[in-house]
Amino acid sequence: MNPLHLLKIEWSKYATNGAFRFFTCLYVVALVLGVYLARSIGRAASMNYSGVATPLESLFDYPQNWQVLAYIGSWLNSFVLGSLGVFMITMEFSNRTLRQSVIFGMTRLEVGAAKVVWTLTLALAATGCYVLLGLIWEAHDGVGLVLPPAGCTLGYYLQALGYLLLGTLAGMLIRQTAMATLFFLAYVFFLESVIRWIFYLNVGKVRLLLFLPVQLLGGLTPLPVPDSVNHIFYSNPATMPLSTTEATVGALVYMGLFVAFFSQRMSKSDL
Amino acid sequence: MSVLCIKDLTKVYGSVVALAGLDLTVEKGQIFGLVGPNGSGKTTLLGIILDVLHPSDGSYTWFDGEEGSHVRRRIGAFLETPNFYPYLNADQNLSLVALFKGVSKPPLDDLLELVQLKERRRSHFKNYSLGMKQRLALAACLVGDPEVLILDEPTNGLDPEGMVEVREIIQKIAAQGKTIIMASHILDEVERICSHVAIIKKGRLLVTGAIGSILSNRPTVEVGACDSERLFQFLSDLSVVKRITRKDNRLLLELEQGTNQEDLNRLAFDDGIVLDHLVLKRQSLEVEFLEITRK
Repeated sequence: MNPLHLLKIEWSKYATNGAFRFFTCLYVVALVLGVYLARSIGRAASMNYSGVATPLESLFDYPQNWQVLAYIGSWLNSFVLGSLGVFMITMEFSNRTLRQSVIFGMTRLEVGAAKVVWTLTLALAATGCYVLLGLIWEAHDGVGLVLPPAGCTLGYYLQALGYLLLGTLAGMLIRQTAMATLFFLAYVFFLESVIRWIFYLNVGKVRLLLFLPVQLLGGLTPLPVPDSVNHIFYSNPATMPLSTTEATVGALVYMGLFVAFFSQRMSKSDL
Repeated sequence: MSVLCIKDLTKVYGSVVALAGLDLTVEKGQIFGLVGPNGSGKTTLLGIILDVLHPSDGSYTWFDGEEGSHVRRRIGAFLETPNFYPYLNADQNLSLVALFKGVSKPPLDDLLELVQLKERRRSHFKNYSLGMKQRLALAACLVGDPEVLILDEPTNGLDPEGMVEVREIIQKIAAQGKTIIMASHILDEVERICSHVAIIKKGRLLVTGAIGSILSNRPTVEVGACDSERLFQFLSDLSVVKRITRKDNRLLLELEQGTNQEDLNRLAFDDGIVLDHLVLKRQSLEVEFLEITRK
């Protein structure tokens, strides 16, 4: 089966699903609201210092505007897309439809490939939202339509993909929607930080700990903070934020490992 | 032509042996019944040949060893309970099945007509009764006009009316010359529908062949009396009784060729036993099944 056919299969499954529609609408609405709030805060800051360009205001100039938008989107990538990733796979397990697809005649490889193609496409759609909203923002500000820097777009895409895959992994391991979503959110917003701090306290500040999944995915869309500011907050080089190159390579390695794990589970385990 | 050839198939779950070196061959055009008590390994066997379970050992081939993804699309199947997307209606679910099978324009009207779901085609699957779900599963099996159908307990959980409806649909499909492999523990159903049968117990094949070759040609009667133990003792000593099988409070007897129920009644009465139940049974797979599985 060609990728377009696989995509059509996944689209037919989810297009009319209420939860899927809720998550996608939530993503778009929350992204628009996030941008609106960020712009309002920026405008308020410049009003306080009338006539003087504040550091906050400068965040809304090109290319920082794209980085800010990506940073706002990163919260939704983790929360909404991650939860969507959990839901999409646990729904298949709870309805036993993944197994049924094989019974109806798809090969295990095709079932797995359909999920991967669908996830790649969803991440692309999320990135499309990001770019479109950024262009609307620019058009509204009358600064001329300038596309985001390639690094920003790639980082955003990889992050969206990464959280979708991380959610899918949590769903595959736990299989029950509520428990898997709870575990995923707890890990993203709490558990990984705890793990990092336990290591910091017992082993010391090791840079390798910045390569844990959530930290790494966060590194793909950093806030446009100058290095001088980073140095103030991060006195130890071991805890300095990852460079986008480090984060990109790390994310690609994780995604490769995930796809390998997913393929292995799909081909070797009983459904 | 061999549609399915199974060799030495084994499946082990921890310490439980679900299938123990099973060999089986299904030929084209057969309506093949797979019977056995609950937990005998029927669903495990079907799960393996449908590739949702991996065998611990052994192998199977479809269509004389043909390989490739197209092979599975020549088979329509449902295993255990019907599983569909609950928020999709019959049309949408069947269209999705068509996409799974790579079928471009499935004849949805005809399929829904056959399984009598045309009226409810726009209802969500979650709102269907069990009978309707089973019928939709049958329709899904038929998408792409497969050569082989695999049905696992197709009348499971249905009320008598639903059972009759599903059975009639299967018979209609069988009349089209398709090969059907059907697992069931309802022996009457298998006997009515199937041309061939395999009896399995604890993962082992006990007997396989044409229904006619498995059924004995001796007359079978079901008898009962107030004192069933005395009746049993009496019948055990009778030379005309070839086989006795206990069934609830009754006894199923296989009689010597040429003996009839009147002879039996007279012999019992002469011995002081009044039969309160005497029914001539047609040759029954149930009797054979009980006999074979109790060995």
